[in-house]
Amino acid sequence: MKPLRIALTKGRLEKDTVGLLEAAGFDCTAVREKGRRLILPIGGANIEVVLAKAADVITYVENGVCDLGVVGKDTIMENGRSFYEILDLGFGKCRFALAGKAGTDFFSGYEAKTIATKYPNVTRGFFEGKGMDIRIIKIEGSVELAPLLGLADAIVDIVETGSTLRENGLEIIEDNVAPISARLIANTASLKLRKAEIEELTKKMEAERGK
Amino acid sequence: MKDYFRITPEGTKDLLFEECLANRTVSSILGSVFSHRGFHEVLTPGIEFYDLFSEEISGIPMESMFKMSDSKGRLMVMRPDSTLPIARMVTTRLMNERHPIRLYYNQRVYRCNPGLTGRSNEVMQTGIELIGAKGKRADLETITTAIEALSKCVPDFRIELGNAAFFKAVAKNLPVSDEKREEIRTLIESKNYSALNSVLDKIGDIQAADIIRKLPGLFGGVEVLDEAYKLCNDETALKTLEYVREIYNDLSKLGLGERLIIDLGLVQRNDYYSDIVFSGYVMGSGEPVLIGGRYDKLLDRFGLPAPAVGFGINVDALAGVMLERGNIPQKQVPAVLVHSVKGHEIEAIKYTMALSEANILGENSVFETEEQALEYARYKGIKKLAIVGDEIKTVDTGA
Repeated sequence: MKPLRIALTKGRLEKDTVGLLEAAGFDCTAVREKGRRLILPIGGANIEVVLAKAADVITYVENGVCDLGVVGKDTIMENGRSFYEILDLGFGKCRFALAGKAGTDFFSGYEAKTIATKYPNVTRGFFEGKGMDIRIIKIEGSVELAPLLGLADAIVDIVETGSTLRENGLEIIEDNVAPISARLIANTASLKLRKAEIEELTKKMEAERGK
Repeated sequence: MKDYFRITPEGTKDLLFEECLANRTVSSILGSVFSHRGFHEVLTPGIEFYDLFSEEISGIPMESMFKMSDSKGRLMVMRPDSTLPIARMVTTRLMNERHPIRLYYNQRVYRCNPGLTGRSNEVMQTGIELIGAKGKRADLETITTAIEALSKCVPDFRIELGNAAFFKAVAKNLPVSDEKREEIRTLIESKNYSALNSVLDKIGDIQAADIIRKLPGLFGGVEVLDEAYKLCNDETALKTLEYVREIYNDLSKLGLGERLIIDLGLVQRNDYYSDIVFSGYVMGSGEPVLIGGRYDKLLDRFGLPAPAVGFGINVDALAGVMLERGNIPQKQVPAVLVHSVKGHEIEAIKYTMALSEANILGENSVFETEEQALEYARYKGIKKLAIVGDEIKTVDTGA
């Protein structure tokens, strides 16, 4: 039987997931000592870990080359696509927020506002819900710069504590755009074809989650 | 201006040799199953009016259809689905035909998927529609046709049963707007437990919410039905469960064992499904290869109500799996290359035709000289060269 492949988002989510897997009794030595390898076995179980960038986790799972994936809700919201979202892992918590220069009223006036973001689809959906016409500019890093340099009226970005915003003279206008955390996703066919294995793994992860 | 004449559009590709053969082989295996079971083939136009596929009935978002306009400026689409055109056809040209009408199709459908995701925008789809028959016999006929079709291609498929009416019956008891109910449906469809829970938490502690909460997890063996029984007291919903059990029990007699599964969370986007729904899965394909169900309300829309049930199979996905497993015959190398000495061209062609009559694969050479023909035969792995002159002489090429 082919090993069950689980794609992890490289970086913090990877570390948190490995922690969760170890707490659930899996031997993740190979992942901890991975070097430059990207496909790693889990000791004592028919499971393989694949390390990938967030959006690629979704791509691999959707196409069925990985059965499961761990990815942030922010990436899911931005990329959409077709797969099962089966478990909220509880870590990697943050939220989407709309933020602008402190002391300005974002909703005043009739000009179409310009929003800078790394998440154009989430931003479009958020403002569509409000019935507001906006102009979106995609920024790849430090989105906070855009309003400071005068390129945008506000930003939509993920916020954990809000301290980066405050230090740069920005304030949150709305932070109920969406709550974020890491999710376990599954390929639609894999969940049906390998139900027993996937359920066993998710039950163990669920039991350890939030401990 | 940039020219794109050397590449195919995104989401499409040329199917060469093995791939083409795999595709045609699957189509012909499936077509033969369908026609042996008394279904008759139809083809519908590749372009249709957009009106036929409006989102409320088709469930296909406007942005995922290829659109163009006709000479009168009316909005047209590249056929994104075969069931709706067939419903149109049945309620117009076949309106006086005696029911049941048994049809099958094997044609391409087009969807404009978001770019760079590896999805095809053009998919060969084959399937059946059994129109004008309701009840268990018709459902069994359709589902067993699906099972026979898949088993002719891959032995390790799985068939999954659900009931669209179960969700509808339970969701009816939720005190929410239709939009909210649709949101809940999409969350169940994507088995998004966490978002589903947060939506249901706002509704409060009522029994209907409890069942809906469990719905995405209600898949597996027949025990799923027992579990759903315990959770549910809505009479309509219980009847829909009872029906799934009946179908499950009947199909069990085919000896499918664990290959027959149940998913009560099978609440597909295609809103036209009204009762039993089913999907087929195959190891090696990341998406269902078969989707079907009963759609008793769809033909109402065309003014000629009739019950109907059917399914569609993704031929490309199935062909891909079979090709990977080596279950597709190899491209055939001719047994003989026929070369004609100048002046004997027609005789050589006649000889090639005679070989074909005798079921021997022969290729008529188009080279001027015997040396060129011999060299070509060796390159292509053709074992014999027949030289047609005043007499016919056959030599080994050494290939």
